[in-house]
Amino acid sequence: MTRDFKVEKFHAEIISKSTLLKALSYLDKKKITTPLLLMDIEKIKDNVSLIGNNIKNSKVFYALKANPDIAIADLVNKQGIGFEISSEGELGILSSLNIKPEKIISSNPVKSINFLKMAADYGITFFSYDSANEIDKIKRFIPGANVYIRLSVPNEGSAWPLSNKFGVELDDAVRLISYAKHQGLNPVGATFHVGSQCTNLDNWNIAINKVKILGDMAKQRGIELSLLNIGGGYPINYINNAINIEIIEKNINKLIFEKFSEDLEIYIEPGRFVVGNAGVLVGSVIGKAKRYDEDWLYIDVGVFNGLMESLGGIRYTYIVENYKSKKKRWIITGPSCDSFDVIDKNVILPEPDIGGLILILSGGAYTISYASEFNGFLIPKTILI
Amino acid sequence: MIKFPEKEPYSPVEYTYEVETILHQGESKYQEILVIKNPYYGRMLILDGIVQLTERDEFFYHEMLTHVAMHAHPNPQRVVVIGGGDGGTVREVLRHETVKKVYFVELDEEVIRVSKKYFPTLSAGIQDPRVEVKIMNGADFLRKSPAPVDLIIVDSTDIIGFARSLFTEDFFASAQHILEPDGMLVTHSESLHFHLDLVVEIQKILKKIFPLVDLYSVPIATYPGNWWTFSIGSKKLDPREARRSFEIETRYYDDEIHKHAFLPRKLYEKLLSKQLAW
Repeated sequence: MTRDFKVEKFHAEIISKSTLLKALSYLDKKKITTPLLLMDIEKIKDNVSLIGNNIKNSKVFYALKANPDIAIADLVNKQGIGFEISSEGELGILSSLNIKPEKIISSNPVKSINFLKMAADYGITFFSYDSANEIDKIKRFIPGANVYIRLSVPNEGSAWPLSNKFGVELDDAVRLISYAKHQGLNPVGATFHVGSQCTNLDNWNIAINKVKILGDMAKQRGIELSLLNIGGGYPINYINNAINIEIIEKNINKLIFEKFSEDLEIYIEPGRFVVGNAGVLVGSVIGKAKRYDEDWLYIDVGVFNGLMESLGGIRYTYIVENYKSKKKRWIITGPSCDSFDVIDKNVILPEPDIGGLILILSGGAYTISYASEFNGFLIPKTILI
Repeated sequence: MIKFPEKEPYSPVEYTYEVETILHQGESKYQEILVIKNPYYGRMLILDGIVQLTERDEFFYHEMLTHVAMHAHPNPQRVVVIGGGDGGTVREVLRHETVKKVYFVELDEEVIRVSKKYFPTLSAGIQDPRVEVKIMNGADFLRKSPAPVDLIIVDSTDIIGFARSLFTEDFFASAQHILEPDGMLVTHSESLHFHLDLVVEIQKILKKIFPLVDLYSVPIATYPGNWWTFSIGSKKLDPREARRSFEIETRYYDDEIHKHAFLPRKLYEKLLSKQLAW
């Protein structure tokens, strides 16, 4: 059976034609039980191949939290890049795939004791920190570890800001670097995070300037920084075109290498960019309601079982099945009883039938990894296509 | 003069045609069917907002879709044409005297009816006694067709529309199943300029089924991206080689075009391995 979807021009900016063909062909195949997450293997490979090409001396570590599906982790590993992780659970996934410890780093500035023990046993040697306490913890379990200080940088223009929870200012940073050295750790470098889905090039500019000042301050204390971990933040297309990765990386490369020596090593930790646009979340329309002059559309994937990021302001692009040609403005909500479970209050869509499928594009990152079975609604099953 | 703007979602360039006359405007069970007359191209067949053919340049597409495989095969007698309700591909197949039987499998009977009325030079061959018209889905036909065939030619509409059932692994597998040992399947596979990812994907799906898979192209002004490709899957014979002498009447295709239409091997490898993309 060939399902009838309304594919329009604006969809083409969000999902590639080959990914769409694979997703639609999968959905034609059989009776579909939603919700589902379809992940395009080729697209993940393509995405990985785009990262780091324009930054010298760079190594790429996939931020596993974006989508920790084991088959995806396996695929990413086979593309030759490493992983960035934070927890026992994430390390468990990587250890079941026998991933070498040299390919793993941990950039969460505050790690649990149990994770540090497990990381020590596994042989991981690169960690971030932003407190004296963390230095003491790392020293206890992984003496001599390579550590990079997390700086606080502006996150304006990012859909998902991260800086107010983590990072220190320059004076504290340089004090902590000295303390780490004093405690026998190897304070090898610095890191920052411009915020996830960052569309503001200035964030990288400001952050790299700050690292330069830190590097100079550290040098005065006899400590040389040889590693710059620029975190993640590369944006993908959700409802419109994000800045191209090539432009972002060329800008970063220029900023770094006009300020630092040629042999500075660069780590990049993309998550969203690796898996986001390879994923299509597939839900079903379960209800429609007219309330005053508002049209409400209820679907079986919502804030709690996949679309958590809509609360932070991520807006998605949809393709509907079994549509009527007239378009309307919809409020789209998830299936649960919670009134927080509203995905978007302003979506123009042709009216779908009850039971029709609804595709949520760029659904591969930070969807399943956030999902719970709150209220008994299932977490979308991941299928690689 | 009114204008017709083409709506192919995956074309970054919007093609707009002047409309001298609207000859037919209707909706079949499957799609919107429009026939217009353009001052330059003459009559044009448009399905679901996408140009399928024009009187002036249809021969590029129909000749190239048909004659490459017809010449690579040593003796094509039984041929399946899936889609191509206008009849252009069937017309080209019938130019070959070897042909004894053509199964013409079209889902949308209305396209045949409209084409007979407005494109008589294309649809003329449908009346030929060697042609058996089957109004059904091409994938279903291949699954049920009992007797083996020499060639399968897929002449479909846009791949992400309802024609996508003709681009699945299952479809190619059932094609492979009913092809004779020296059989081949050829299908259009969109534009290298605008749909490179899709061209590569179709090649990859074909490679799962056929031992020999190749790609050739022809420039077509009225298809988005212009650099139009055809993907060919073969059970045994290299399609780059023409095994029959060139004796039929054509305007564009000939023995020399056959050789040059295939992508140079180095370029082909670069595209398939994604070393070259844009």
